[in-house]
Amino acid sequence: MVQSFRAVQPIWCPGCGDFGVLAAVKKAAAELKIPPHELVVVGGIGCSGAIHNFYEVNGMHALHGRLLAQAIGLKLANPRLTVVAAGGDGDGYAIGMGHFMHAFKKNAAILYLVMNNETYGLTKGQASPTSQIGFEGTIEHPFDAVLTALSVPVPNFVARTFSGDPRTMTQTIIEALRFNQAHRGFAFIEDLSPCVTYNDTYKLWREKVLDLSKLPGYDPTDRQKMFELYLAAREQGRIPIGVMHRPKPDQTEASLEAQLLPDGIGPAQAELSIDTNRGAYEKLLANMG
Amino acid sequence: MTTSAARIPPTPAPTSPTGIAPEPRPPLEELADLSIMIGGQGGDGTLTVSDLLARYFRRQGLYIYTSRNVLSRIRGGHADASIRASRDPIYAEKNQVEVLLAFDREAVEIGQAELRSDGIIVYDSSVVRDPVANGFGFPFATLVGGAIGQPIYKNTAAFGALSVLLGFDAQAPNQVIEGRFARRGAELLDKNRRALELGRKAALDAGVTPRWTVAAGTAHDLVLTNANQCVALGFVVGGGRFFAGYPITPATEIMEYLTRYLPPFHGVVRQAEDELAAINMVIGAAYAGVRAMTSTSGPGLSLMTEGIGHAGAAELPVVVVDCARVGPSTGQPTRHEQSDLSHLANLGHGEYPRFIIAPGTPEDAFVLTIDALNLAERWRLPVLLLLDQALCQNTATSPRLSLNGIHLDRGKRLTAESVAALSEYRSYAFTDDGVSPFAPPGTPGVYGTVTGNEHDEWGHVSVQVANRRKMMAKRMGKMERAGDELPKGRIYADGPTAEIGFIGFGSTWGPIREAQRRLAAEHRTSRFYQARTLYPVPTHEIGPFLDSVEVAYVVEHNYTGQFARLLRETMPDRHCKLRSILKYDGHSFRADEIQRAVEGR
Repeated sequence: MVQSFRAVQPIWCPGCGDFGVLAAVKKAAAELKIPPHELVVVGGIGCSGAIHNFYEVNGMHALHGRLLAQAIGLKLANPRLTVVAAGGDGDGYAIGMGHFMHAFKKNAAILYLVMNNETYGLTKGQASPTSQIGFEGTIEHPFDAVLTALSVPVPNFVARTFSGDPRTMTQTIIEALRFNQAHRGFAFIEDLSPCVTYNDTYKLWREKVLDLSKLPGYDPTDRQKMFELYLAAREQGRIPIGVMHRPKPDQTEASLEAQLLPDGIGPAQAELSIDTNRGAYEKLLANMG
Repeated sequence: MTTSAARIPPTPAPTSPTGIAPEPRPPLEELADLSIMIGGQGGDGTLTVSDLLARYFRRQGLYIYTSRNVLSRIRGGHADASIRASRDPIYAEKNQVEVLLAFDREAVEIGQAELRSDGIIVYDSSVVRDPVANGFGFPFATLVGGAIGQPIYKNTAAFGALSVLLGFDAQAPNQVIEGRFARRGAELLDKNRRALELGRKAALDAGVTPRWTVAAGTAHDLVLTNANQCVALGFVVGGGRFFAGYPITPATEIMEYLTRYLPPFHGVVRQAEDELAAINMVIGAAYAGVRAMTSTSGPGLSLMTEGIGHAGAAELPVVVVDCARVGPSTGQPTRHEQSDLSHLANLGHGEYPRFIIAPGTPEDAFVLTIDALNLAERWRLPVLLLLDQALCQNTATSPRLSLNGIHLDRGKRLTAESVAALSEYRSYAFTDDGVSPFAPPGTPGVYGTVTGNEHDEWGHVSVQVANRRKMMAKRMGKMERAGDELPKGRIYADGPTAEIGFIGFGSTWGPIREAQRRLAAEHRTSRFYQARTLYPVPTHEIGPFLDSVEVAYVVEHNYTGQFARLLRETMPDRHCKLRSILKYDGHSFRADEIQRAVEGR
């Protein structure tokens, strides 16, 4: 066995919600028997974005806010890889907002995990796009990424989980990865992952989370119904969690890479040699104009 | 130049009511090259006329150079095209045109500035009502509208009139029309044939006689192409299989060509939401071990600067094509400039190695795109392929592209077999040449990490002092160690030494070569060093070149003499031999401008 990358001790503070996410991803990959050489964790910038350093699989540490673009490029280049992009709320919803919205539209079969702690932890506790009014003096309104994701009319998988409930989180990640593996589309999970140092919300969130799947009328294939449940929960001051959108099983639209590469042979599998391609290349050059 | 007026006798002054011709008319003159400008509103079919002329001249075995001008700052939808035909190879515009074909008054006014003093304007007198000096007016639109019922064929009628003025063989225009329109159905072909005949007859009835002609040449089996198309073809042949870009003039065609070319080869082309996404998608694909490229122009390059620096730090092979246009900011999107070089040489915060290579012709663009892909993977760094608007979008008759001599260098790429022989796999292993063997994700038996953080050999984040020093030396030393592997410059010389030296890159190749011919005709010797690697500066080539000339003119399209500054910075002892010939008005050099600058005129 070739000695490959060795994981290091996480830099996270004891009690950080991100530990739960790392453990859940590991459990899900083990459950799905994904070999480490076929799994890539793409990390953003911030505490959560260091996640690939603590896991013995392929890691790509992206630029701040650009992890989705890198992860999608990777997936389109080699559709056989399992790609998990993981970063924080500042990375995804501030500097990376443009790429975030376009990831739903592109619908490549990757999993995007946002560890939302409502603050910039690594730079010591500034307000983030999801910070509540009053946190660090912010007077801007918090951004709700899951509500926004629900509004994009594309058959994506959308969920919110809570680090205080690791079992459900693991099950949700397994479902999302299965959704990816079937080339059905993009999966987005926002995990509520408290920052114990700058914004310890464990207790508050434990009180406020509301699992919509427990409510009567819950149907994540029905966007209109989910909007109703979601907004009603918000109006009651609750934080909705659970799978918010799950395309119907008979959904026929395939993910981006499956549409582009219907035979499953991607750029990484393509034959490059001049000799193999000589006939086709000569034809291309002969017909150039 | 010879006159051959005897061959075709002058005809009497026109009497036909369909046209107005000036008199007296000079005799037929045979030229070594001929330029025609066609102007009108978008939709007038100026490009079709240019294409028909190109088809005719190519049948005649002539070299062609065509350009398009989209004058976005002028009201309305004015558009014009120029075509130059020559018995000699040409890769530049001429300073003046012989003939202007104008479909409206605006085209007359704009085109007049380009017309030589005895040039002729052929115009549509159904639109331009007042007679134009030195003009032949024909009511193309009403002629065609009346006879065919659709004024849209006025451009073909105008081509017919030009065919008389330029002494085309009588049958050839018809064959040209057939070549262009036969595939589009019998009705369309017939209408164009009738329009051609209407235009020819109007010219003949008006007493138009051939004024200028270029004798048939020997330029056959060439292709009419530009660097944008050749970069796209080079990318496919060079094993490129992933492209992401964002539309931007004058780079967009590369993406459009690849959208057509790449899918049959299991390649992927994506239009991203912005240039930030484009470069980062390319970075992701590069990590997958796929040859990946993006193309852009100045404003997009500014956005990609972040990503290119990341590729430099993470040692990921990416190719970035910069189709330079007028800057800064939005500048002049459709206009020509070479003002991105300083930016490219210093691209990004911090320090990382990069190669800047620059082709001079479309064919060279094909070759250097393949070199760029090889160099990026061999040295695991970003390679910047620098083009300019004239090279990207103007078309020139070029030699057919060939697969001969092309090979792909995958560098130290690991495979499942070679990995199995390793005891350990470190993404950033220290090696003699600074390049670490690389196994992309998916390679059985190994996994690794790439990062823009400073890192140790394993890819772990590191702030260790000795490691930082070693990693910087590993990366930065690539520029020196690549040395001989970088594309070599080319010297075009009258002899081993010369009075005049030229140094240039990109599209200035064409006008400099032509200026050399003009100077030679005046018995002045010159040598031209075409730089194909701009950074790291090939001092080992430029030093001896400077020794061989009395003075060297660095010809470039920018205000500050960016390449000359780079040469002075890297070769300070050669400072006194360098002069600059600069142009930054949005137009590419014409040979006579370079000649005049050398002559101090």
